[in-house]
Amino acid sequence: MASWGEARDSRLIGQRIPRLSGADKVTGKAKYTFDVNQPGMLYGRILGSPVTHAEITAINLSEAEALPGVKAAIPLIEPGKRVRYQGQEIAAVAAETDDIAKDAIRLIRFDYEELPYVVDVEEAMTEDAPQLHEDRPGNQSKPGIDERGDIEAGFAEAAKVVEATYHAPVQTHVSLETHGHVAAWDGDNLTVWASTQAVFGTRRDLAQHFNLPEDKVRVITEHMGGGFGSKFGPGVEGRAAAELARKAEAPVKLMVTRKDEHLVSGNRPSMTQHVRAGATKDGRLIAYDLRGYGTGGISGGAGFTGPYVYHVPNVRTEKFAVSINAGNARAMRAPGHPQGAFGMDSLMDELAEQLGMDALEFRRINSDSQPRRNEIRQTEYTLGAREIGWHRRNKVPGAGRGVKKRGIGMGCGQWGGGGGKGTQARVTIHADGTVEAVTGTQDLGTGIRTVIAIIVAEELGLRPQDITVKIGDSAPGLASGGSGGSQTIGSVTPVIKTAAIAAKQKLFEHIAPQWGVEPEALRAASGKLYLASDRTKTISWKEATGHLGMETISEGGYWDEELRIGDVAGVQFAEVEVDTETGVVKPIKIVAVQDCGMVVNRLTTESQINGGVIMGLSYALLEDRVMDAQTGKMINPNMSDYKVAGTMEIPEIKAIALDTGRKVTGIGEPPTIPTAGAIANAVYNAIGVRIRELPITPDKVLSALAEKGKA
Amino acid sequence: MIPGSFEYFAPTSLNEALDLLKTHGDDAKVLAGGHSLIPTMKLRLAEPAVIIDITRIGDLRGVSEPDGKLVIGALTTHYELESSALVQQKVPILSQTAAAIGDVQVRNKGTIGGSLVHADPAADWPATILALDADLKVAGPDGERVIKATDFFQELYTTALEPEEILTEIHVSIPAANTKGVYLKQYQAASGFALTGVAVLLTRSGDTCQKVAVGVNGVADVAYRATGVESELAGKTLSAENIAAAAEKAADGVDAMEDIHASPAYRANLAKVYAQRAIAQLAS
Repeated sequence: MASWGEARDSRLIGQRIPRLSGADKVTGKAKYTFDVNQPGMLYGRILGSPVTHAEITAINLSEAEALPGVKAAIPLIEPGKRVRYQGQEIAAVAAETDDIAKDAIRLIRFDYEELPYVVDVEEAMTEDAPQLHEDRPGNQSKPGIDERGDIEAGFAEAAKVVEATYHAPVQTHVSLETHGHVAAWDGDNLTVWASTQAVFGTRRDLAQHFNLPEDKVRVITEHMGGGFGSKFGPGVEGRAAAELARKAEAPVKLMVTRKDEHLVSGNRPSMTQHVRAGATKDGRLIAYDLRGYGTGGISGGAGFTGPYVYHVPNVRTEKFAVSINAGNARAMRAPGHPQGAFGMDSLMDELAEQLGMDALEFRRINSDSQPRRNEIRQTEYTLGAREIGWHRRNKVPGAGRGVKKRGIGMGCGQWGGGGGKGTQARVTIHADGTVEAVTGTQDLGTGIRTVIAIIVAEELGLRPQDITVKIGDSAPGLASGGSGGSQTIGSVTPVIKTAAIAAKQKLFEHIAPQWGVEPEALRAASGKLYLASDRTKTISWKEATGHLGMETISEGGYWDEELRIGDVAGVQFAEVEVDTETGVVKPIKIVAVQDCGMVVNRLTTESQINGGVIMGLSYALLEDRVMDAQTGKMINPNMSDYKVAGTMEIPEIKAIALDTGRKVTGIGEPPTIPTAGAIANAVYNAIGVRIRELPITPDKVLSALAEKGKA
Repeated sequence: MIPGSFEYFAPTSLNEALDLLKTHGDDAKVLAGGHSLIPTMKLRLAEPAVIIDITRIGDLRGVSEPDGKLVIGALTTHYELESSALVQQKVPILSQTAAAIGDVQVRNKGTIGGSLVHADPAADWPATILALDADLKVAGPDGERVIKATDFFQELYTTALEPEEILTEIHVSIPAANTKGVYLKQYQAASGFALTGVAVLLTRSGDTCQKVAVGVNGVADVAYRATGVESELAGKTLSAENIAAAAEKAADGVDAMEDIHASPAYRANLAKVYAQRAIAQLAS
């Protein structure tokens, strides 16, 4: 059974190592799908529905096809079918230039019969609302119900009860690189450059769509500009690119527009929860009753967590999804968790206040429902509270003086991220000393490429830059799963590690007989092989591999579950400053203490924590998909009305990547979970008025302050 | 094409530009920095048949100081006003307002004249130009005329400029030594436009407010002078109470706008808050 060894023996693991692709990215050398060009390539565009709900009766592509420069046009919906939200794909064209393609989609004619629509969640649940599905009466999915313990007995035992409604909006992914593909056919071989989180999943989907053997399809994702859960397959746009390329007999690049990205490429569902919860006099959560729903668009789910993190013995929850005429939800960075955590952590603070307890103490008492996580969480409480200066928070919320008031709050999160089987990888040592690590995973920007190099280099006694990492390509036939659920590191690195061990063993078996020793007597470090019992007996890496002659070492690995762990805990603390005259909330500092298992690359780990916090604060304060009930359209499908946090909104972030053992774990998602709850609680601590609805905009803050003033 | 097709002219003299404008009438739009016109054309909200690009008319660009006033060519960019030593020294509120616009790229290309004639209610220049009591010189088929800033902005995206006229210069009197100005703004988070911007010119003698001029944008569908504030504070001591009482009138009689970024009540509140902050800053 393999192990990562002791921390003190690691030269590379746990250090701060710049990502291998960093220089290429900042100098623009890195080629994203957007940058891929092929000889004779055409440009694809999709016509999205300008109407919200309609039956398409006819599509006429002839005018578009007749435009000079247009090489192919295809329908994406059959007459007789319905478009059920703005932006839903109607047809696509490919043309010699992008400008011609844009003109061509204006020439696509279609007839339709408009149908009634509803885009407001509350309105969708009223009796008069148009019914969007036969199997969702009242536009509501069958509720999921969870009952544990005895809810009535629980409330009977409660000394304090809080009843509140929390709401979070729909958030869209806003990946900097939009969804897109470049598709090229060579006979019946299809090559697709894809901005995807799942190279092999995309290959399988396309092979099935075109009824091809999988080995006829090659998918390449050298670099990609963010997916956050929205890019697990080719989608309508990827299949359209390949269809257009086949029809036009030329490569086609089709990138989704920013507007369509907001409308059709996925989102985090909204959440509304009515919750009633009680705690005993000594501060134990005892009863939790929740009815909640959200919209995942026309037919998406809208699940969220609750109760969350803390153990509650008596629980009743009922959750369902509401259909509206809008694009479907997709997985989005910790699906269901940030919205659930915002509700739970707001509730925890409200209960603590009712009990007259310190909010941190109340959380400590209500331990995490899982023992390992609880132990780590208690440490995280201590570290985070010290870093933010928890003692400085207002004992009486809103007690600060002056126009600008500060407050401190906290939030919690948990995540799986343990990885699983299904990755194949090879580590190859060539006679000239070069080393290749090959697997079919993809780097979403998380840094897995560099992590693979670190692990192989550590095992072989080399430097990360000595390892050529080949990922993001299906051609070698070494499959790996999609990068979702923070599963990549836990799925990929055990296989890489065991492959590197096996390759090293083979090299030792070559050298050992020449020295008259057993292979087990050899070690590799600092670019050399040496004898464990006599460190002066050495041979350089290159000299050693030179002995391979015409041979090449190429070893596979296996998934060793002992090398990875899941179920991580995270805690965040936020300090904010609220301008009580303008309502503007300015984050001052966010401390993120994250259980990271074994940190492989501290630099990229902290980077992921920073990214999660930024996305979380953007969710807390800024992002909101606004639908217009009258027209059924999204009002802000752009970046000049839909605000995503940028440099000016980002405060000091203290990322504490906590090493909690010698097993890897994925942390792409968990650091985005606690942020909104921590900020909401900090705002309350600053002004003494609770905002129960995200995003916490200046307008909402001022209205709440005015309400309080009246009371 | 991204926008619809159009005929393009690039005259090198003002007379040539005016002739083109007369010939093409309503079919034509004048292009300066392009930061308002081009986006609306890309969205096809505007599809002019003719574009008259006036950026090659050199006479319309730059700042000079003849007899006690600044003369600003309509094609002067925001960045030129932000960075001009002359402007910084003589009328610093102009540099300050320019610096609050968009980002570096926008300031490098966008022009003061273009912004003023576009009359976007959330643009930054109108508040300052109003507070400075600037004169706007325009040229048309019948020669030149001067429009006072307070008469210039009429309603949403509408000015006193006639269809065949071009704004050529902005004339700003250099304030006396006892007059100071400041422009404060709350940014709309996503676009950087003014959710509310307040420009104040305060003339004081000792602790007394001799005169105050307050321009406000972002609140109503057109930028305005907050005359209620001005008359309330004139002649009074610049105490915190007097300033606060005057600032309360910053949105009096104004129909505040509503959109997804703010309610009318929120906008009206911002006008008061920023008027108070701007005056207090100048009074301290």
